[in-house]
Amino acid sequence: MTDWHAPDDLALRYADGSLPEADAWSLEKHLEHCTSCASRVSRAVRGTTAGVVLAEVRESVLGAAPAAARESLLTAARTDARALTPPRTHSPALIPALTPRLARILWAAGPALRGAWLSAVLIVAVGAVVLAYGAGYAGVRPVLLVVAPVVPVVGVALSYGAYADPLHEITASTPSAGLRLVLVRTAAVLAVSLPPLTLAGVLVPSSGAPGAAAWLLPGLALTLASLALAGYVGCPAATAVTGGGWLCAVLAPALAAPGDRLTARLAEQLSACLDGAPAQGGWAAAAVLSAVALAVRRPAYDHLGRP
Amino acid sequence: MGGHREKDAADAGGSDAALLRAVAGGDSAAMAALYDRHAGWLHARLTRRCADAEVVREVLQDTFVTVWRSAAGHHGEEAGGWLWTIAARRLVDARRAHERATRLRAAPMEEEHAPAPAAPSAEDRVLAGLEYGDVGTALDRISPELREVLRATVVDGLTTREAARLLGIPEGTVKSRALRARAELRAALAQLNPSPLGGPA
Repeated sequence: MTDWHAPDDLALRYADGSLPEADAWSLEKHLEHCTSCASRVSRAVRGTTAGVVLAEVRESVLGAAPAAARESLLTAARTDARALTPPRTHSPALIPALTPRLARILWAAGPALRGAWLSAVLIVAVGAVVLAYGAGYAGVRPVLLVVAPVVPVVGVALSYGAYADPLHEITASTPSAGLRLVLVRTAAVLAVSLPPLTLAGVLVPSSGAPGAAAWLLPGLALTLASLALAGYVGCPAATAVTGGGWLCAVLAPALAAPGDRLTARLAEQLSACLDGAPAQGGWAAAAVLSAVALAVRRPAYDHLGRP
Repeated sequence: MGGHREKDAADAGGSDAALLRAVAGGDSAAMAALYDRHAGWLHARLTRRCADAEVVREVLQDTFVTVWRSAAGHHGEEAGGWLWTIAARRLVDARRAHERATRLRAAPMEEEHAPAPAAPSAEDRVLAGLEYGDVGTALDRISPELREVLRATVVDGLTTREAARLLGIPEGTVKSRALRARAELRAALAQLNPSPLGGPA
């Protein structure tokens, strides 16, 4: 900052509008940061015909004080973006970090954990136990093992897309939409459905069916296969194919096979599908393959479920 | 020349920053002091850029009402520059609103921008002053159209888009006129002062 200040004649001639452009420009730049010259030029302008206007505007500006000040109390932090040159960086909200995070996870889990599907899972699990002990039906575990792998698949079908999520249009426009959100919701589906179904399987008598945990790998493989397929044909069709395919593969031979007791035939068929290292290894391989396909088709999930 | 010191004119008491803090708290006396300090030159500066006295008055009032609201957001930059930024943006907005209003009132098929209502403002009354230094002479030699583009972009610090709105010309024209203005200014200066040194502008 130099010691230069506008001479009085310069201020006067600027005030009455008779100063040439070049001088006016340099004076204007000076006034932007020199309060003392700004005061003197302003005083000079008040001495011209503009004085009347300035006095009138002054009245109304000061009269606007109560309303404007009230508004300023409300919006003290928010600045007038049009008027202010440097944008302010706001300090992050001081809400405890845990609450929004939990809320975000629950939101991401989304439709999968709401509504009919969740009740269906619980009804299947509780119903199996009730059926086994209350009604004394021995074939509960085979039936449960047939149904269980389809449950997470259905959960996935119901968890992402315009038909399942009333907020889908909004959801789909967020940065975390697409595969990431699909996976989060799938994980939520698995986390909710695995424990009750497996527990119910442990509680009911075996009736010659494989162990209660035998459905876990097939369930995972079918879920991942549904997701991989969804990248091509969409969620509903993909889950219909995998879930329906599983039911056909298990039920059709059991129904067609000779023998008098359906439960026994079902248990036999399930053992073929689920029991032993080769079968479980096959399911594991299918799960891995599906996961790879899923990763390859990643971009397709950005548009998944758009009507 | 210019023996005035900071002190002698800081008459209304307190620095601009202190006044703005008080204004943010709703202090009318501080606003009055700030107004007396800055409204005059802002009015003069706006008048040089807009021939319509009513628009100037509105913009000035708008500017200070905005100050009531935004004083809390002022962060130590020079208050004069800050105020001018507000005023210049308000002037651009007012011009745009005015233009829209006249376009609505005019025949709707008339798409062409009417050339900005030639403002016979201070600028034109002032063109005679050739006795001021080289830069002034050079500036006066370039056309008023080029000069007002230079003023809007260089002196008033408006963006190309804002300058286009203020002057009522397309953005592309602002850009090409700014280039031409610089070139002509350079040529005029070289003609006036053949030594390559030139004075600081």
